[in-house]
Amino acid sequence: MGKIDGRRVLLSFVCVVLGFMIAFSYNLTKDNRGVREDKAWNEEYMLRQQLIEQEKQNRQFQKELLQKQEAVSKIEQDLAQEKQLFFKLAKDTEKFRMYLGKVKVKGKGLQVTLEDGTNSDPEANVNNYLVHEQHVFKVVNELYISGAEAVAINGQRLNHDSYIICNGPVITVDGHQHPAPFIISAIGDADVLGDSLDLPGGIKEQLVNENIIFTMEKKKNIIFDPIIGG
Amino acid sequence: MWLPVFGLLIGIALGFLVDLDIPHEYSNYLSIAVLAAFDTLFGGIRAHLQNLYDEVVFVSGFFFNIVLAAGLAFLGVHLGVDLYLAAIFVFGVRLFQNIAMIRRILIEKWSISRKKQKKNQ
Repeated sequence: MGKIDGRRVLLSFVCVVLGFMIAFSYNLTKDNRGVREDKAWNEEYMLRQQLIEQEKQNRQFQKELLQKQEAVSKIEQDLAQEKQLFFKLAKDTEKFRMYLGKVKVKGKGLQVTLEDGTNSDPEANVNNYLVHEQHVFKVVNELYISGAEAVAINGQRLNHDSYIICNGPVITVDGHQHPAPFIISAIGDADVLGDSLDLPGGIKEQLVNENIIFTMEKKKNIIFDPIIGG
Repeated sequence: MWLPVFGLLIGIALGFLVDLDIPHEYSNYLSIAVLAAFDTLFGGIRAHLQNLYDEVVFVSGFFFNIVLAAGLAFLGVHLGVDLYLAAIFVFGVRLFQNIAMIRRILIEKWSISRKKQKKNQ
């Protein structure tokens, strides 16, 4: 009986091992198959999803890029406009500086010389033969009116707040005294300036009538230095 | 007689309940081991029916075949030779042969018993 029991127990043990192996193998195979297929499918799905996401993102970025490019081009246009504006401003500034006498200017122009007239009649009033400040005024004004860009008297440049006063035999320009003859030089279109002074009944005639020796000379190159301390 | 069946049931239950996770590469060895176990089992049944059954041979064959099959497969993988195919082939063929033998023996026994019954009648 004991022997039979021992055999049975051994057989049972074999059966336990067999059953375990079968069940375990079955379980494993089932699990593995499912897991493997699921894994592959899941991975593909995930990758696809990622791709779609990426493409969406790309699209969005592209749109953003387009918008940004538009913005950039707008800014560039603005910059160009600004540049033009600055360019104009710079030109204007230069022009204004020129008018104010802050910069050295050169160019062709007209030179007018006013000399005291020769007094042939000893009984006449000597004042009638002198160059007065109003004569200089007239010439300077006429020059400015006819488009002179810069005017100087005896090499002293005039600016927007220059003053000219008569002070006996000399005239004072901005505090500097100048004796006759007065050389008034103007930068501008020499022909226009000359013609406007030369008009019938114009400045030249008036001055000549007042016994002033009036000479006019067209110059190719007149240089004015900037007004120092002006 | 019921102890082995009971043991088989316990084994199956254990197999289903145990939540061991072995790497996928090793499931091949397990299936070959299962095949070897089946082969030995049916061999044992056949031997029993032929009255050639020896417990020591059966039990030692059971475990030895399992280990040998798995070991061969393992060796084959590492040598680059598909030895597990040989194991599957051998065990498969023997399995079929054993089952066929069991069937024949059973039929024989059944027909003998019928003849005996006829004679008795």
